Amino acid sequence: MSTPDIKDFEAALVELEGIVRKLEEGDLTLESSLGLYERGIALSRYCHARLEDVERRIELLNERGELRPAPANLTGGDDPERKGGR
Amino acid sequence: MTSLFDLPFEDEPDPEPEPAPEPPRVPGRPAGSAEILSVSQLTADLRNVIEAQFPRAAVEGELSNCRSWNGQLYFTLKDASAQLRVVMFRTAVRLLRFKPEDGQHVVARGRISVYEPKGEYQLICERLEPHGLGALQLAFDQLKRRLAAEGLFDESRKRPLPALPRKIGVITSLDAAALRDILTVLRARHPHAHVVIRPARVQGDGAAQDIARALAAIGRVPGLDVVVVGRGGGSIEDLWAFNEEVVARAIVRCPVPVISAVGHETDFTIADFAADVRAATPSAAAALVASRYEEVCGRLLRQRERLRSALGSRVLRLRGRVQRLESAPALAGWPGRLAMRGRHVAETTHALQRAVRGSLDRAARRLAGLHNRLEARDLRRRVGLARGRLMQADGRSRAAMIHVQHRRQAQLAALAGRLDSLSPLAVLGRGYALCWDADAQTLVRDAAALGPGDRVRVVVSRGAFEASVTRIEAVTGEAGTPNDRPER
Repeated sequence: MSTPDIKDFEAALVELEGIVRKLEEGDLTLESSLGLYERGIALSRYCHARLEDVERRIELLNERGELRPAPANLTGGDDPERKGGR
Repeated sequence: MTSLFDLPFEDEPDPEPEPAPEPPRVPGRPAGSAEILSVSQLTADLRNVIEAQFPRAAVEGELSNCRSWNGQLYFTLKDASAQLRVVMFRTAVRLLRFKPEDGQHVVARGRISVYEPKGEYQLICERLEPHGLGALQLAFDQLKRRLAAEGLFDESRKRPLPALPRKIGVITSLDAAALRDILTVLRARHPHAHVVIRPARVQGDGAAQDIARALAAIGRVPGLDVVVVGRGGGSIEDLWAFNEEVVARAIVRCPVPVISAVGHETDFTIADFAADVRAATPSAAAALVASRYEEVCGRLLRQRERLRSALGSRVLRLRGRVQRLESAPALAGWPGRLAMRGRHVAETTHALQRAVRGSLDRAARRLAGLHNRLEARDLRRRVGLARGRLMQADGRSRAAMIHVQHRRQAQLAALAGRLDSLSPLAVLGRGYALCWDADAQTLVRDAAALGPGDRVRVVVSRGAFEASVTRIEAVTGEAGTPNDRPER
């Protein structure tokens, strides 16, 4: 989703909070309420996308500055010695 | 720490060598002989003796004349009545954990040797420690003071953690519990974390340099949001790398915020002071990162909910208002009533049109008849006038209400009646005649206008004839009656 006029996650969240406050105050025309609501939904979608667009990943940065997937014993889920207990 | 210094000195420096029953243990040179030696030989002999006698010495005194040259450190150790030259070679200097300064009270350990070119004996110091206060503590205090004076620890320099830490750098030993702790916490609480691990030795020689290198390297990874650097708990010696200047400077230089996580609940390391945020343990650092993520998720979800309900309630309120208005007594039933009115209006209009059209048709028919009857007469003007009025009436009638229509009908009837009554034919029918002058231009209304012999044209009910005037009778007020008679 491209929302060109959103700076970053934090800015989007702050703007969203402002919109919600304004909507809750409620002294707006229905038209401007709807405009704000649409903007709010776009911001919220952007934020959610940003929250979820990173896949859980564990990498090792080696001496040559290369990123390599971490060995299985670090990635947890499929670590045999950690299975069945905490 | 003091325990280190409570150890008994193994080798008391003794100015007087033990009186030996045997001559000095210098092979091939019998004691007491007056053999002449070169300076070099004597010095070499002395050196052998001294080095054999003091292979391990520990000397306490005050540092003075401290200077370093080419990585080596030279100073004098003195007390109230004597002094001792001391040299520290590069390898020993590198292990120093504090900066020797004049006036410090120290314990120097090493061996006594002779510097032959100058004929001076000196202590070759392998370990130098502050007396009393632990060396590490002193080093810590010194470095902390220095870096603080430089502003490295200033609050204004601290960077806030990002609202949404997604790509997280971790610098620690690969096989330590610290790494597992961090990964466990992140796995449980920050499911979308992208972790970049840069392994580093976290204790032992060169650990500080390794950590500093790791910080520099991980700082070059694009898109990193935060770096956690640390290790699990241990003794002050174990944690020492985190008290080294290189680490503090690397933390400050790191382009992304750094969380220090040196497993030591109570004491701070230099790294803790330099870091943007200090966590007590590696797990705590991971929890801090995760809590930022959780907080932001919660914030977003709340805003989303409020956004929905804010607009929802707004629409509900407006809908409620509309419904209330619709059901208000003043408006209730309006649609039905409007429909009824509409039908009524349509029906009325239709009836009106029908009635008007009918009456107009009738009037038009009558008019046409009249017109025909009048055509030859000079009544066109009147008829035209009447038609104009009728048309006007027609136009107005179409939009009028029923009573207007009735009035129009009455008017029409009256008009027709008047037209009827005005018709000369009707008058002629009753026996009147019209008398025109000779050229049929003017009606004769005054007998005085005629004279005997004049010709007149007389129109009667059926037909007309020409006549000549034979006699003019006296003009009287009642001219009508005599005229009647002759025509009978």
